[in-house]
Amino acid sequence: MAFETDVSELAKVVKAAEQHWWAAARSEEVTNDKPFNVNIGDMPVVLWRDNDGMARAMEDRCPHRRAPLSLGCIRSEGWIQCGYHGWSFDGEDGRLKEIPNMKDKQKYPPVYRGNAFKVEESGGFIRICNSKNAVIPAPMGETMPMAGSVDVALDHVHFVNALFDDPSLIFHIKGVYFTPYLMSELIEENGRLTMERSCQWKTPHWPAPFSPEFPITLRITTDPVTGECDILLRDDDFNELLYATLAPVPAARGVTQVRWRAKIGANRPGIMAKLMGIGKSFAVLPHIDGAALRVLKPTASIHAEELRANIVAREQAEAISDGSEKVAA
Amino acid sequence: MLEESSSPVETSDVADDSVKITRHTENRPANFAKLINNWVPHDLVLKDAWFPLAHSFAVSKKPVRRAVYSNSYFLWRENGVAVGSEFHPKETGKASVSEFTDAKGRYPVMEHYGYVWGWFGNPANADARHLPSLPFLPPEGNLPKYMLGTVRFDCAAPLSLENLIDLTHADFIHADVVGDEKMDSETVEVFNDSETVTMVRSCTNKSVAPVMKMFGGIKDDVQQVRQVIRIYLRSHCAIAYGRFSPGDDVPLFHPCVPETRDRTRLDYAMNTSNAHNLFRYVMPKASYKVSRQDSSMTSPQSPRYMQPEKRKDLHSPLDEAGQVYRALMQDLANRQAQGDYEYRDNVSEDCSDIIGLRKELFQY
Repeated sequence: MAFETDVSELAKVVKAAEQHWWAAARSEEVTNDKPFNVNIGDMPVVLWRDNDGMARAMEDRCPHRRAPLSLGCIRSEGWIQCGYHGWSFDGEDGRLKEIPNMKDKQKYPPVYRGNAFKVEESGGFIRICNSKNAVIPAPMGETMPMAGSVDVALDHVHFVNALFDDPSLIFHIKGVYFTPYLMSELIEENGRLTMERSCQWKTPHWPAPFSPEFPITLRITTDPVTGECDILLRDDDFNELLYATLAPVPAARGVTQVRWRAKIGANRPGIMAKLMGIGKSFAVLPHIDGAALRVLKPTASIHAEELRANIVAREQAEAISDGSEKVAA
Repeated sequence: MLEESSSPVETSDVADDSVKITRHTENRPANFAKLINNWVPHDLVLKDAWFPLAHSFAVSKKPVRRAVYSNSYFLWRENGVAVGSEFHPKETGKASVSEFTDAKGRYPVMEHYGYVWGWFGNPANADARHLPSLPFLPPEGNLPKYMLGTVRFDCAAPLSLENLIDLTHADFIHADVVGDEKMDSETVEVFNDSETVTMVRSCTNKSVAPVMKMFGGIKDDVQQVRQVIRIYLRSHCAIAYGRFSPGDDVPLFHPCVPETRDRTRLDYAMNTSNAHNLFRYVMPKASYKVSRQDSSMTSPQSPRYMQPEKRKDLHSPLDEAGQVYRALMQDLANRQAQGDYEYRDNVSEDCSDIIGLRKELFQY
């Protein structure tokens, strides 16, 4: 019997990186002081802010001699300048703006450009997309105050699947115990993967396998490709206790970069819900417990790949259909 | 000696002079062997059935939440009457109702045997005639709370029921509760209709269940045991009725509500009204131990039954009842896939005689 790996699945995710919007950074991580380097799959990306405060993103590779642009600097014009030979690029379209020693030359042929990404910033996240035809996504709402970034030594596919099967391996919510019991398995809802898990407060309580009722549930809705997910903790009276957004991005060497933001709900009846608001309410764990992960039973995640494939195939079919209609019109 | 082997299944050689198995094959699906070897219980979603969602006492003015195949059921009482909705009263933003509810998002709900039952399927087909017969439970409920409880399994509901009707597992993983496999002889009879499968196992001189020795006042080393498992396929409910001599009659209602395709909720009722000594109080709580023992096996089993599998399970003649259960469940699923939701047999007809209920003990 052959051993199977998820290499092909990971490759699909990385390929999809070119077509989708990825939350590559939190807003506060990107400044006009110093270039910021991330990866989307195996592609290195550099981000910075121009003079107008607009976030810019390019492939972190100078088209001249392939040096990382992130080793350079941000010029007063808002351009990024390669640290090797000083070539400068405009982040809006990637066009070459200046070559040292050739300052008399004002314009360069169109092919003299780096690979610039489309950028969208809202909700405290900077999302980038490598597709020229990508539609700007709807902006997120408010910027949630709690935030963090971690690099987890687990590939994107397994990271998201672990989130589905046992969120305690991925993040921590103060005072909350995630039970193995579900109110909803992983299903598609409005083009996203949705599930809801029953939870208990970390107080003396009846063991989960024998509990007739659970006081809180954790709802996770996930983008089928990027794995970006919205998390909602609510009590049995439907009071919303905590919100969080996790943005896992596949990076080089099987690492997953995770940016997250969270906030606690305004109305939190009960002592445990109130205590949750004191101190560190939420955090994504920087390390995965390999021993626990190895024996984690795949359950909710088992159908994830099939659901993802169905959603993506349908979206692609709709896109082709829309394109045909436009041509016909 | 193992009787006939007309069932076209793979068997391992477990022939033993002390076991006699009687099969009733007349009501079995034609493609029996194929069905039992294509067993993907995770994919079975049967509709048009009543599910016992909550003990009656658990439903009050404040909504409690349940689920059937990931569909939310919020239950509460309006003027004392139990109602069910797919929405929490405080929930907003839901654009449309599902196919399982009316225009207001309300499910058909009824209350009987001390349970609030919710209909899963076409609301127009909801009918009290499809409620499983449970003649050992008072129609109005009202059993003492110590006879009731909730346990959960992180496995597919059909696996949990297949485990229940698997007669040989109990002698091993539950030996410290219900006794080991030692006995002089046993007979097993399996019969079915389109909506139920029933197994009757009679054991001669079986080791006395430790729980009966400890709490039931049984001094003997062996006892005569008659165990019945009767499964109502669509509702994922079972009767587990044990008659022990010397000892007591212990009927258990064992529902396996599929909250999701991989999670099962069991709000049980064990009517020990006629049991003696501390056994009356202790035995219902044995479910907490027994369920954990079962879960230790069914939990890791479940992911292995989520996808079609090329390798066939091996079977012994002692798996007869489980095989029938597998075949019937899939036969029902196949019928439903073709749009046939009709009940061909009456599940609400009194099954006292079928399960051999000593009616004098349970008169309601």
